[in-house]
Amino acid sequence: MKKALRFIVTLGLVAAGGLVAVAQATNYSLWINGRTGGGQVGIHADFSYWGPATTAAGVNKKSVNWDGYNRISTTNGNVRDALDCYCTGPNWCYVAAHSAGNLQIGYALALYGTSTRSVKTPTPNSAGQCGNSGTGTQTGWNIKWVDVAGGAAGGSELADAGDWALGEPLVSDLKTSTARALYNHNATTGKWFYMFAGAKGTLYSFVLPGQDDEVVAYHSSGGVSGSSGASFCNPSDWLCNDLNLGTAANQGGRTKWSYHTVAFRDSTEQYDHYARGNWAGIVSRVRADMAAYAQ
Amino acid sequence: MRRRAPARGRAAGVLVLLSGAAAALLMWWWQARAGLERERVTLAQSVAAPSAGTPGPAGASSAPRPPPGAPLSPLGQAERAEQRALWQVRLDRARQALDGYRAAAQYPHESRPIEEHPDQVRPFEPIAEERALRMPGGGSAAQGVRLRTTQERVFVSGMESSRITLTLTDEAGRLLPLRVTRAMLKEVTAPDQTARTAEVALDVNDAGRQGDTVAGDGTLTALMQPGAQGFGSFAGTVRLEMYLDHAGQPGFIYFDLVYSPEQAATWLPGVREAAGPGGLDFFVKAQVLLPGRYVVSGRVDDNRGRPLALVQFNGEVGKGETEFRLPVFGKLIRDRQPEFPLVLRDVEAFLLKPDAFPDRVMLPRLPGVLHRSRSYALASFSAAEWDSEERRRYLAEFGKDVAEAEQKLRQLGP
Repeated sequence: MKKALRFIVTLGLVAAGGLVAVAQATNYSLWINGRTGGGQVGIHADFSYWGPATTAAGVNKKSVNWDGYNRISTTNGNVRDALDCYCTGPNWCYVAAHSAGNLQIGYALALYGTSTRSVKTPTPNSAGQCGNSGTGTQTGWNIKWVDVAGGAAGGSELADAGDWALGEPLVSDLKTSTARALYNHNATTGKWFYMFAGAKGTLYSFVLPGQDDEVVAYHSSGGVSGSSGASFCNPSDWLCNDLNLGTAANQGGRTKWSYHTVAFRDSTEQYDHYARGNWAGIVSRVRADMAAYAQ
Repeated sequence: MRRRAPARGRAAGVLVLLSGAAAALLMWWWQARAGLERERVTLAQSVAAPSAGTPGPAGASSAPRPPPGAPLSPLGQAERAEQRALWQVRLDRARQALDGYRAAAQYPHESRPIEEHPDQVRPFEPIAEERALRMPGGGSAAQGVRLRTTQERVFVSGMESSRITLTLTDEAGRLLPLRVTRAMLKEVTAPDQTARTAEVALDVNDAGRQGDTVAGDGTLTALMQPGAQGFGSFAGTVRLEMYLDHAGQPGFIYFDLVYSPEQAATWLPGVREAAGPGGLDFFVKAQVLLPGRYVVSGRVDDNRGRPLALVQFNGEVGKGETEFRLPVFGKLIRDRQPEFPLVLRDVEAFLLKPDAFPDRVMLPRLPGVLHRSRSYALASFSAAEWDSEERRRYLAEFGKDVAEAEQKLRQLGP
């Protein structure tokens, strides 16, 4: 009788432990918007910036909304809150970022990626903040990899040239010299950034060097290290250095930021910068990638 | 009563445990079902919008699944091939994450091989950029000319300055005449506020003054020093706007400096070193006036001047005298076999203010050699890889992802 009881107790404990583990370990897909914003800050189910929320965009997708207007430093707390919510304890995240969202995740990882984080329960309040789970702290966040569409971590010459409103706080951060000095872009704490670079830009081709998606040039969307101003193009353009796929240095020798790899180069110039609230432009490539591989 | 109570308690416990087991089994079944469903949905979705950056599924099928063991129909075979392709890329991605992280995590975050940070080797070199000469909103730019600029730095505190230079060249790099018709220094006022400082006209010259190193060389120079130019009580972006002219072609350019009048800490003289099997640590001393998170970085070269490491500190510090530890990890020394003594140079630091703008208060730069270490035998350092809870957590998770993808591929067969 005692043996049977012990067996049942053991079975129960194992099962209960399994229940806890099953219930807690979850993967999430975090989407970090760019300039202009659109989704309600703190409401992670609001995908207004991106497109229909019913569209597949990775497992357990969450929209990490920030206002897309103010400085990276004053809005990065929204991103860190979401990372704390979904990417601590037993939970892991895939991250997708668009445009200035690239600056947001890069800033968070480079400056706070080695800090001590309280493990949270992934049920945010209306401000997008989660309560402590009571299971302690950990170093950094649990992030598997990062997909970036039209990344603006290298800034945009549209901010340099004064074509955007110079009084807009975010535009100051998107100035190429400022964006590249904001943090060490190589410091991703070992997480890989998959860069998706669009090239269907015509309107500002006399401002944006090399190939562009009408907002950012390849030097930024391709994660090219060093100062801005250099031109990078598709291989079909013989008058301009190639933006090489993968992690290889570009034609002419300019390297990419460490842990950055060009996953998609728009060789047929089909993708511009704009999501259009419908998962459009270069965002469509990242959405497909997330839907397939962020699981 | 006293004898029956424990028995009842035991029975209740057994009931609770059995309920737990049943709930767990139910949850397992639900999760497994949800997982299968999710996979099916994912496959359908990725078929609807295939990823071109990586090989993906190539077709869709709504054919009913054949019973286990039955030969697959052509549609079934296509579906399986599609799933294999999907899982192969998932496996590739998982392996890259695992291998990449494992390679990166040989060394701790605060002690990195310098080749991983190519744009951090010479941190105090001016930012050099090149752009078109044009007006904002103008539909075109001056043809055949390039505006080359340098900016000494973007973030300053106290009385620090930033030197700006401009040259205009043709496509062959020959200097062209450039005139600055107006240069104003002004604060960038937050949208909901009014300006608290007055605009200041700035001297931009090629006459050998105000930071211009060589008179008449065709390089125009301006010196931004907010603390001495009327912005000493302002914290934020100070902007230098310039209106330019080349042979009647107008142009506009601006330079931003993020300025904080505060003083976060002062450097104290001397660098201490401490060596052990784990590596060689440099301790840079400071008197901290404002407590908070400090970010400090330095470069370490070997005796031949070969860059070896980017060493960093990122942590909370209290007020008072402190030492920032900048470690050269033992395995990094063993792997790169530098010639001793090692040299610590070009240290920069700031107080990082969360959720604020400006988000940092810079400490004065420490350019050049700060410290030359003693010499140590390479064998005195450990060749062991970095170990930490974070590293183990990541390797376990990424390893699990690889194993899962491999298992899926095995299940799907050749």
